[in-house]
Amino acid sequence: MEPLPNGNSTVTNATTASATATSLPSLHAGVPSSKLSQLTESLKLEHQFLRVPFEHYKKTIRANHRAVEKEVSAVMSGLSDAGDLSQDDAVQHLNSLVSRLQGLKRKLEDGSRAENLQAQRCRARLDHLESADADNISEWNNTRLKRILVDYMLRMSYYDTATKLAESSSIQDLVDIEIFYEAKKVIDALRNKEVAPALAWCADNKSRLKKAKSKFEFQLRLQEFIELVRSDNNVRAVMYARKYLAPWAATYMKELQKVFATLAFTSNTGCEIYKVLFEPKQWDYLMDQFKQEFCRLYGMTLEPLLNIYLQAGLSALKTPFCYEDDCTKEDPLSQESFRKLAMPLPFSKQHHSKLVCYITKELMDTENPPLVLPNGYVYSTKALEEMATNNNGKITCPRTGLVYNYTEVTKAYIS
Amino acid sequence: MELNSIKDAFDCVIKKQALSTSKFEEAIEQIIQEIDQTLSGIQSALNGLSSQPDHKSILGELKTKLKEIAPLGRLEGTQKELNIALSKYTKLLEKQFNPDISKSYRNVDFDSHTVNQIIAGHFYREGLFDIGDCFINEAHEDVIFVRKTRFLEMYEILESMKSRDLGPALKWATTNHEKLQQNGSDIELKLHRLQFMEILQHGSRDEALKYGRTYFAPFATEHFSEIQKLMACLLWAGKLDLSPYSEFLSPTHWAKLAQELAQELCNLLGESYESPLRVTIGAGVQGLPTLLKLMNVMAGKKAEWECMKQLPVPVDLGTEYQFHSIFVCPVSREQASEDNPAMLMSCGHVLCKQSIAKLSKNNSTRPFKCPYCPTEVEVGQCRRLYF
Repeated sequence: MEPLPNGNSTVTNATTASATATSLPSLHAGVPSSKLSQLTESLKLEHQFLRVPFEHYKKTIRANHRAVEKEVSAVMSGLSDAGDLSQDDAVQHLNSLVSRLQGLKRKLEDGSRAENLQAQRCRARLDHLESADADNISEWNNTRLKRILVDYMLRMSYYDTATKLAESSSIQDLVDIEIFYEAKKVIDALRNKEVAPALAWCADNKSRLKKAKSKFEFQLRLQEFIELVRSDNNVRAVMYARKYLAPWAATYMKELQKVFATLAFTSNTGCEIYKVLFEPKQWDYLMDQFKQEFCRLYGMTLEPLLNIYLQAGLSALKTPFCYEDDCTKEDPLSQESFRKLAMPLPFSKQHHSKLVCYITKELMDTENPPLVLPNGYVYSTKALEEMATNNNGKITCPRTGLVYNYTEVTKAYIS
Repeated sequence: MELNSIKDAFDCVIKKQALSTSKFEEAIEQIIQEIDQTLSGIQSALNGLSSQPDHKSILGELKTKLKEIAPLGRLEGTQKELNIALSKYTKLLEKQFNPDISKSYRNVDFDSHTVNQIIAGHFYREGLFDIGDCFINEAHEDVIFVRKTRFLEMYEILESMKSRDLGPALKWATTNHEKLQQNGSDIELKLHRLQFMEILQHGSRDEALKYGRTYFAPFATEHFSEIQKLMACLLWAGKLDLSPYSEFLSPTHWAKLAQELAQELCNLLGESYESPLRVTIGAGVQGLPTLLKLMNVMAGKKAEWECMKQLPVPVDLGTEYQFHSIFVCPVSREQASEDNPAMLMSCGHVLCKQSIAKLSKNNSTRPFKCPYCPTEVEVGQCRRLYF
């Protein structure tokens, strides 16, 4: 017999109903302390949230300092040269140096302002983490979901959506749109087979890339070399190699030799080993490499946050029952798309029984123990008591339609 | 995690950075001053006022003076302090937070099309139609047209309710009258009731009466007492707050009904009430710390991690994430399944089928002792349970 639909849930479980488009106020005061402690525990996952703007801040400070130091040294050495000039020239020279320094003062001010803006952003994020408390748990979680979605959009280069989403809930300070725009320039150029912005980025981050023993610059240079070979500019290619590839020779000799050999084979080669070096997907590889280096430099995860949380959630929710036809619609894994994603992931595990009443969707525990009908179907005490009260002591099993007396149920003891 | 120590460390960084900037300013100012002095020195030499006849020697003096002051060198101290503060903050972040949450990420094929479909569905469900469209565009995905229109309709109804307009909601309820009746839902009556009260409060008694006559009739048999009360309200038109039915006026009815309506709408559409993306991410946020800890323990066994069929430890989620009944046999610690269902013994304790088989030593005629009480149990009397 076809299972009957659930009776109307008389108790709207207020903890499940969080804000939808209707944004309803919470109908009960006081949040269970477990929820608050869970929230604070989840803050520990937010390393990227604080680290990225801080790395950006550090970078700006360093760049500003370098620029100032460079200018000051230039002025100082300019002063030493002044000794050889004639009187009038010397005066002119000194005056020009002074105006340079005045200009530098203004630049310093501008730089300081930029640094402060970034420091403010770091501070705003610290404040946001601090703001997580019992009164706004669901709102804070909603913001987190939006942040995760913006992060996904930026990684996939859907910049319009990212900007719109950030604007819609005014979370611009909490997401890293500008930083990804920096990456966008490089990625777009690489897509157009131009390495210049990528090389500029490497120059900007030279010391840190060196510290991380990155070979990205080397790979960019190799690609430029290949392009020169491709256009039969062999002489220029060799000159290029002498200037830009030679410094890397010590560390990456074998690779260098392989690429250098393309001179002999040219771009029309049939030889597999060298043919692959000329393929356009080498550029895709460079784009991926850049994304990785970029993420590593800023302390970001390589994968989008969305994927990380999705995987964890799917695995935690996955049970064999999710794949059955009568899986409740409230379970995300009742949906085809979620099921598909969860296929290769491990099932969750329980060490203790957790039983949910089919009627009320509440937990059946010692306070609300499970009762067994003569047909073997189990429901919670609360549900059956209510049903019996409203129906002259009669109970109808919602799934089989069979009717029994309340007196016919037996108690089950589940540990 | 102590946010205060992190905030303090950041304040320290700000201080050192401000200090560094001001020291830079000082240094530049100093150099400027020295040059200015030199310039006026040369000028006075020109005017025959100074003892120094030659601009070269004045310049030479400048050179020595600047070497003495060594403005750049003096900055080294503050720079070092700034660097220390910067690296201290970074280290503090690494210590207090989990520096790499992707450690437990499995390298499985996470089809981006599926993910995009999920995201698009989420946007439409949340009423963010512009953003959803923009996303579909940028991601070059196909529009899930049917779902989008459904959610559009639902959103319109709920938005109108927010501005106290029950029109669209009532229209929807009438269209879906049969299905609602089938599900045993009384939302149609509730909507009419609310509309009735609105008319009575703001309109005339006659209008309300007319409304009641038109719309309450189909519900007369089942909800007679309810309708009686509503009609009785007519007697108190204009003084409803003094009537025994004043609670019908409470504004909370709107919020409550909106929520019920949302639930009913989702129910009829075959959708869940909560966005499944939100639910999954919520579960992920709760479960990720456990998975990361697990990954730490299994550090060297990446291969094992990638192909495990079931997590080796339980991930504790809140009760709102418990969608299915899981029975774990207290004896074998295995989860019940179709092949190994939960069985109720005559004493009221529950074990899984295989455990019972083992305890009875596969002899279905002899009774065995329940592990939890002194009762003797017959295998044949054990009943299968359906949760």
